[in-house]
Amino acid sequence: MTLAELEQSYGESMAAVRDATDATALDQVRVRYVGRNGLIPALVKQMKDVPAADRPAFGKRLQTWRAELEELLEARKGEVAAPVASGPVFDATLPGQWSVPGVEHPVTQVIAEVARIFGKLGFTVADGPDVETRFNNFTALNTAAHHPSMDAADTFWFDDDLLLRTQTSPVQVRVMTAHKPPVRIITPGRCYRRDTTDATHSANFHQTEGLYVDTRPVSLADLKSTLAYFAREMMGSKVGVRFRPHFFPFTEPSVEVDFSCHICGGSGCRVCKQSGWIEIAGAGMVDPRVYRFVGYDPEEVYGYAFGMGVERIAMIKYGIKDIRHLYENDVRFLSQFG
Amino acid sequence: MKVPVSWLNEYVDVADLSVKELSDKLTFAGIEVEGVETVGALLDDNFVVGEVVACERHPNADRLSVCRVSDGAEEWQVVCGAPNVRSGLKVAFAKIGAVVPEGGFVIKRAKLRGVESFGMICSARELQLSEDHEGIMELDGALVAGTLLREVLPAPETVFDLEITWNRSDCLSIIGVAREFAAVLKRELRLPSVDFSEAGEPASSFAKVVVEDTVGCPRYTARILQGIKDRPSPAWMSRRLELCGVRSLGLTVDVTNYVMLECGQPLHAFDYTTLAERTIVVRRARQGEELTTIDGEVRRLDTDMVVIADAVRATAIAGVMGGEATEVTGTTSNVLLESATFAAPSIKATATKLGMRSESSHRFERTVDGELADWGSRRAAALLVELGGATAAPGVIDIDNRKAKSTTVALRFKRARDVIGVELGDDAMVEILERLGFVVTERDGVRGVFKVPSWRCDIELEADLIEEVARMHGLDAIPERAPVAVVSSDNDEPFRARAKCRATLTSLGFTEAMHYSFLSAAELDAFDKRSGAGRLVLPNPVSADYAVMRDSLLPQMVGTLGRNASRQVMSCALFEMGRVFGNSSGHPWEEERVALGILGAVGRGKLDLRRPVKNDEAVLWLRGALEALAVKLHAGRVELRGCEHPAMEKGWAFEIVIDGKMTGVMGAISGALRHQWRLTAPMVVAELQAEVLLANSFARGVLQDVPTFPAVRRDVAFLISESVTHEAIVGCIKKVAPQELTGVEIFDMFNLVESGVVLRSVGYALEFRSTSRTLTDNEVNKAIEKVMQALKDELKVVIRDK
Repeated sequence: MTLAELEQSYGESMAAVRDATDATALDQVRVRYVGRNGLIPALVKQMKDVPAADRPAFGKRLQTWRAELEELLEARKGEVAAPVASGPVFDATLPGQWSVPGVEHPVTQVIAEVARIFGKLGFTVADGPDVETRFNNFTALNTAAHHPSMDAADTFWFDDDLLLRTQTSPVQVRVMTAHKPPVRIITPGRCYRRDTTDATHSANFHQTEGLYVDTRPVSLADLKSTLAYFAREMMGSKVGVRFRPHFFPFTEPSVEVDFSCHICGGSGCRVCKQSGWIEIAGAGMVDPRVYRFVGYDPEEVYGYAFGMGVERIAMIKYGIKDIRHLYENDVRFLSQFG
Repeated sequence: MKVPVSWLNEYVDVADLSVKELSDKLTFAGIEVEGVETVGALLDDNFVVGEVVACERHPNADRLSVCRVSDGAEEWQVVCGAPNVRSGLKVAFAKIGAVVPEGGFVIKRAKLRGVESFGMICSARELQLSEDHEGIMELDGALVAGTLLREVLPAPETVFDLEITWNRSDCLSIIGVAREFAAVLKRELRLPSVDFSEAGEPASSFAKVVVEDTVGCPRYTARILQGIKDRPSPAWMSRRLELCGVRSLGLTVDVTNYVMLECGQPLHAFDYTTLAERTIVVRRARQGEELTTIDGEVRRLDTDMVVIADAVRATAIAGVMGGEATEVTGTTSNVLLESATFAAPSIKATATKLGMRSESSHRFERTVDGELADWGSRRAAALLVELGGATAAPGVIDIDNRKAKSTTVALRFKRARDVIGVELGDDAMVEILERLGFVVTERDGVRGVFKVPSWRCDIELEADLIEEVARMHGLDAIPERAPVAVVSSDNDEPFRARAKCRATLTSLGFTEAMHYSFLSAAELDAFDKRSGAGRLVLPNPVSADYAVMRDSLLPQMVGTLGRNASRQVMSCALFEMGRVFGNSSGHPWEEERVALGILGAVGRGKLDLRRPVKNDEAVLWLRGALEALAVKLHAGRVELRGCEHPAMEKGWAFEIVIDGKMTGVMGAISGALRHQWRLTAPMVVAELQAEVLLANSFARGVLQDVPTFPAVRRDVAFLISESVTHEAIVGCIKKVAPQELTGVEIFDMFNLVESGVVLRSVGYALEFRSTSRTLTDNEVNKAIEKVMQALKDELKVVIRDK
């Protein structure tokens, strides 16, 4: 046999192994090639007839042939093994065996989304404590001592000075007091008001504020543009914003911000109470009095601030009908936010 | 605040605008429309004046009457349930086929307790005229039966319910809202006349007014009106009061209320004859001084409160409520009419302290225009003269201690354009401000100086003027552009570390829970009483259920796991990241924690869920999660050290030590706590300080080369006493093994009893690898021998027979 013939037989033998469909056929192939009287042992015996020059290559090839063939035979043995009547039958319809991932709380998801969107505009997340001072929560935010928000009926006071923050705005005060402008932050966090809990009120809730203060002109138009971008990113590309005049002690001018209804597109539905608009945020240009409290010169800076309720956005975005669901922690509710 | 459109129309023409247009104008002027209510309904020809011709008791029902009602043409038998129905009464009669406004039902022939009825006699509520449903309406006896009701009853009214922002106290009146409309619509504002005739001795000869507290009371005016005839107010007035939610109580009181609603100036009428020594003293209350207010309550006052007193006693709580002793009654004919200005902070503090809110205090708390005191007084006097036949004593006692009576504010036109972001000309801005009542006192190309109208107490700074310009120009006119982004290099690692922690936990199968920061003391006590003194307690909680700031995330975690189990959620893994609070000798502190909790066979495959979970299994699952978290956050080695915890089973409570630092607590919740959920399965929870866990979230170690030489792996198995820990075994192995030992992993463990002694069978896989060469069997065998010898010597292990 020449080397070329050897290669051909090699090919035939491998194909025969591959083509064998059951254990019997496979065994026949084995006997034909590597059995005691099979082809390969026979060829080994014929080695002496091979020309001396070819003999080493021939020998080596016989070896690799045998090795490869036996390896393949072994591999195929498992595949063609006749099913044993009493053995287990694999059921591929069984559920997979891997741990199921958990879900972040919808409030966290909204905060993450807010941080992502404003992050693209260069806002950084800042935070402060839940237990705040009167100065940071009210005074520096230009809240008159007789403003109703200071009432013990509305605010959780620990004493004359310390309280549970009623808004995340004190973080603005902290950041501005510590840093020179420009300041560009969002401040998601927990707030507390002495509200009686119902479907839309919770004594413990989350807000996120945004603040941009710079030494070059920043306008209401910039605020509107930023919030319009946020509206599209958060609620959908067709959602628009509108401003309504309002009053907040720490902004002047102050506006309330409505998003056009992402459900009906503005034509009126149950979600927007037929108005086509949904109130989302309070905003405005930072009141010059606030700048004085934090040590900025009101003549030198321009800036806007906005604030919104995280639960409210979650409720609107995900169609949650009752704010209490968010604190109930029923796994059947939470697991839907994956 | 309620604003009937018909009343508003008295001062500015708005009747031509639809409700929707009016709403929009108000909204975009900054006045929120909370609601729009229609009072009264359009009644068709089926509603007529009826006359009760006869009225008898219903034969089968005590509370019903059987009446004969004439509709002018015919008489109908009508069954009526009202207590006030009687013969001769003129009533609002709904004939067969009428649709009743309230409820929208159709009047049909009906049988009531066996008696036929052909129509209905209506109450005011049924016609949506008021809330009155005590009985049927009693109409003017002079009306002719058969007259259409819509011709005699007031036309349907639209009443706006407005939310006035805190700064716009000037809009807490019909005229205030009208003034805003006039500016928005560029229409004329018509004010009512305040002229009246005066006669007799001057007011100052009737009374002496002393203002001791000029800070609390910057202005006090008093007028004397005598000979007021006690009579009901005219229908138009009582109707307007009613539309605004104020009860009609007789002319004098009604006029004071009417004028307050009309212009925003609270007024108070004292019965002149009851004032001791005809004297008014505005002073601070004496400590403990008592006053019975007109609502019959005895109020205890203190020295922070301003009172109106006569020569002897306090007669009214200034700006909040009058006193019973000096109040106007049906027999009062001479009054001292107070129209004063009280300082907002003082009224606010007093009303809050006394827990009283009145229409008057509501306005004073938000500041009332000092100029209004005289106008309001004149207006009320004019009405009392006109409607009550009163004689007004000439002049007014006016103690005016106001400081600045007018302010001016400058507006830089460019600054306004910069802040608003619109191209708005100087003239346009001036025009807007003039429309709002501002008067230009100076102007050049750069700025204008404006005198602020007295009613705009909220305007102090340029920014306030900019707001007025922006608002009146229209916020819709503010353009939207592409937002401006900047590159920020501010550190956001703390936020990202938290996000990473959450992402890791969710990937490990934990779902995020979120609880209130406060809970009941009982819940905290049930979990761990030891912390009692160090808790941060809310002095004024919403309820006892939320009275204490949480000092651990675990009580709520346990509750939530239990609650879920009771709702047939049989296995769950939860986490929470949140703050806990405490009080260390008067100083509140707060700290962020991460809590984890598991219940059920969360660590098992789905084909093995029914086999009961044991504590050791559950504790190791949670430990596994902690280890995975620590790896991901580069927090370091996790160790558990046994401890005691009142909420945890004995022997199943552990301190969590991470990287050598005491970081938290973990354990299996005690049966007593689980009992309320009837839970027998273990519930394992852990709580860690976020600071330690997150400190190195983004740390990076030095990159190690991938090994080039093969590893040699040997398994060793032996029996050992239960008391020897895994940690001790690994320590022993590592101590004697050569540095080529690269891994020790336990792969098998079970207990067996041998001649009555419990022994633990364990198997360890040891991996050896050199960084510089291929290890020989011989070397590894030697190392294994050494290891086994050490285990035998030091830990007394027994090598298992093969």
